[in-house]
Amino acid sequence: MATKKARQPRKTTATRKVTKKARRSKAVPETTRSATVKKKSTVSTSSAKKSAAKKSTKKSRTPRRAVVVGGIRTPFVKAFGKLMTLDAIALGDAAVGGLLRAFPIERAEIDSIIWGGVILPSGAPNVAREIALDLRLPSSVEGMTVTRACASGLQAVTLAAAAIERGEADVVIAGGADSTSNAEIKLPQHLVHALAPLALGKAKSARSILSVLSQLTPITELLPRKPEIAERSTGQVMGEAAEEMARRNGVLREAQDAFAARSHARASAAIASGRFDREITPVDSAGGTAFVDDIVRGDTSEEKLARLRPVFAKDGSVTAGNASPLTDGAAAVLLMSEEKARALGFAPLAAFRSWSYVGVDPADQLLIGPALAIPRALDRAGVKLADCGLVDMHEAFAAQVLSVEKALGSDAFAKARLGRDEAVGQLDPERFNVHGGSIAIGHPFAATGARMVTTMANELHERDEELALLGICAAGGIGAAAVLERV
Amino acid sequence: MTDFLLELSRNPRARSVVRTLGLPIPMPTELKRGRGGMRARPLEDMGVLVRAARFELELADTLASSGAETFLAEESVSFTSAGEAYARPSRTIATMGDARANAIVFDASFVSTVSELSVVYEFFHAHVKKLSRCARVVVLGLEIDPDSPSAAAAQGALEGFCRSLAKELGRHGTSVNLLRVGPGAESSIKPALRFFLSPRSAFITGQPVGLGRPAEPASFTRPLEGKVALVTGGARGIGKATAARLAEEGATVVVLDRPADDEAASKTAREIGGEVLLADVTDKDAPKEIRAALLARHGGVDIVVHNAGVTRDKTIAKMSREQWDMTLDVNLHAVTKINAALMAGCLRDRGRVILLSSVAGIAGNMGQTNYGSAKAGLIHYARASAQGLAERDITINAVAPGFIETRMTAAMPAMIREGARRLSALGQGGQPIDVAEAITFLATPGAAGISGQLLRVCGGALVGA
Repeated sequence: MATKKARQPRKTTATRKVTKKARRSKAVPETTRSATVKKKSTVSTSSAKKSAAKKSTKKSRTPRRAVVVGGIRTPFVKAFGKLMTLDAIALGDAAVGGLLRAFPIERAEIDSIIWGGVILPSGAPNVAREIALDLRLPSSVEGMTVTRACASGLQAVTLAAAAIERGEADVVIAGGADSTSNAEIKLPQHLVHALAPLALGKAKSARSILSVLSQLTPITELLPRKPEIAERSTGQVMGEAAEEMARRNGVLREAQDAFAARSHARASAAIASGRFDREITPVDSAGGTAFVDDIVRGDTSEEKLARLRPVFAKDGSVTAGNASPLTDGAAAVLLMSEEKARALGFAPLAAFRSWSYVGVDPADQLLIGPALAIPRALDRAGVKLADCGLVDMHEAFAAQVLSVEKALGSDAFAKARLGRDEAVGQLDPERFNVHGGSIAIGHPFAATGARMVTTMANELHERDEELALLGICAAGGIGAAAVLERV
Repeated sequence: MTDFLLELSRNPRARSVVRTLGLPIPMPTELKRGRGGMRARPLEDMGVLVRAARFELELADTLASSGAETFLAEESVSFTSAGEAYARPSRTIATMGDARANAIVFDASFVSTVSELSVVYEFFHAHVKKLSRCARVVVLGLEIDPDSPSAAAAQGALEGFCRSLAKELGRHGTSVNLLRVGPGAESSIKPALRFFLSPRSAFITGQPVGLGRPAEPASFTRPLEGKVALVTGGARGIGKATAARLAEEGATVVVLDRPADDEAASKTAREIGGEVLLADVTDKDAPKEIRAALLARHGGVDIVVHNAGVTRDKTIAKMSREQWDMTLDVNLHAVTKINAALMAGCLRDRGRVILLSSVAGIAGNMGQTNYGSAKAGLIHYARASAQGLAERDITINAVAPGFIETRMTAAMPAMIREGARRLSALGQGGQPIDVAEAITFLATPGAAGISGQLLRVCGGALVGA
């Protein structure tokens, strides 16, 4: 018996080796297809093929840069407000429509739309393609929709950059939209399963119908549940996670309120100065026309915010005032290959030096991800935090941003968690979230990343800075960061 | 087989009735046990009272990175910076208020004279009441220095302190253990503390454990990935629980049992995704066959758990020759023979050998001259083998279960069984999983510093040393 079994593992390892080899030799010409076509026809032995492929891999890395040409977003509007009747697709239509008006481009030049979404419409989850069809773009403009919680917008943009730099596309529209006003209320799965025999016409007799009905108790289990942003793995609501981070990192209520007040003051100043005008397109809906972000409160103050009651814990510190509110909105970014942009007469704004997505244990500090993603993105870009003239961080909660800021500034964190001797660095308040952030402007989940890319790409030119660093935390313990450089 | 008193003690009303009436009924506390595979942060949200000394750095890093909240006897820079890194800020015990703690870690490395023991008294006298139920106490001592009798007296005293405290706190489900750290073995503190402070060590109490060498580096989750384990008698009971735990931590487990137990062994192997090897360990050719099978299937073995055992109880005058031979053969002779066969060319470097001894091998039992001989023999076999195997970084240890709720103990006469359950600090029998957890810990790379020792998983049984 022993000898019988003995042969098995040997066999499997042997076959594994073979398939690996086969896969490798297949994969290489595929990734660099255009470059290898010529050589492939002239060489025949497999080893020669491999070396040729290697050479061409290097060749294909010669920089083909994706650039951000510009971005447009809808106003960010409080949920169940002016934009309530527009779902994520309609909001996406508005943002992409506005983008095409602001950056007139022959429609046939567009290769695809890559769109992010967190609360996807279940009837048409591929929002990207729906936008293309709604806007009557050529049917060749294909679409893909991605979801990575609050990092979905940045994910869509970096995917577009990757596709362009890989030579798959020349012109891509990327962005994201979310309508929390249109979150679908789910029937409990228990009810769905119990009713299945009726719906499928299997229960015919009175008795079988009774047996179906008998499963529908207790009645409270059948009521639709209020949609909540709770972690699936831990059951923790996001605000509770922020509350825990505040406690564990020693972030006080006063600091959170001060940060929130600053966010409002800066966003309000940006609106008053007209700084956001070229990034926003007005949107018509049944509720009227939305022209401007309506969550920003220029007249708020630390004192006013201090009066709000904590929401997630009795003696807690997270309030409606120092957290990002539920928001409706969309943001779109136009990306092209640098040659294409110049050929079409557009002045590129910025390009990605690097990006990084990380995962942390959601049961530990759910929203600390940026503290790990940022140093990785900086390393990949070959720069230091101090080299970045601008830093833009998504403000899910003031408590979360301040916790990340603390971790970035801590030598102990760097040593224990990043394996380096020195802290990543201190954030300079003059360069950090210069026009406020999600607390004041609002946070339509998947739109936020695209909003940040647009604002930073413009701001690099406004301030004549070289580099901008982006950081986003997301549900599931995900962290995202990217380094933008001015073009 | 259910423990009636444990069931009763689960009922809060029954508890209070027994307490107010002052009935002489022991009310054991239901133990909290670990579940599933090892976690990145096994001490998540535990409140730990700490008095640090020489091992301050190790303690600060271990506790913060394992998710514990620390309350210090006095503020410390190491704890502040570890707390910052893992967002587990440390506080002082003085600021605790009425909060309860789940554990005490007392670093007694500073104790080198008898008079210094008074610090131990002062700390525990002041703080032991702060402990919750099912808490953990770990005292860190030093390896006994044979050249310094006065230091040995002081450090040796810690053992008696821990054993006695274990008996005091046992009825609350709390365990107390002593870790003796040898020179250069500081890296072993972290993995040991992650085990002895966690619910996985629920049934180990009153035990001294020596950490003699540094730990091998490894992941704390699925630490046995890529390892091959052999568990003899793996079809049922403790063997089955052990096989399951080893598999859960990533090991490929070969479940060995008698050909007569084919069905049970196959079922276990299927459940844990392991393999079956049928052999009677007392067969003359068994050692050779086991070796050949392990070599052929896996090219060797990393973890060997000698768990197969039998009892044939009779007082010596009434014991038959067969009963004596059978018990000695299965429990002791087979172990030494199989080990000898595996040692050269089959058991890999950094291997782990774990022998299932028994409290009967320490204290002896009426009617178990055969069983007691075999189990005592194993303890000394482990002790004597350790040094020779250390060159290849192989560890060998004996684990001595006390009263464990298994098929074997269910067959005991009711009164004796009831007595055996209660005659321990924790006042209850253990579960097979408790022994499996101890064996799994000894099998990890983190336990490289523990060898030639006896680890009792007995709930603080009142018998024996």
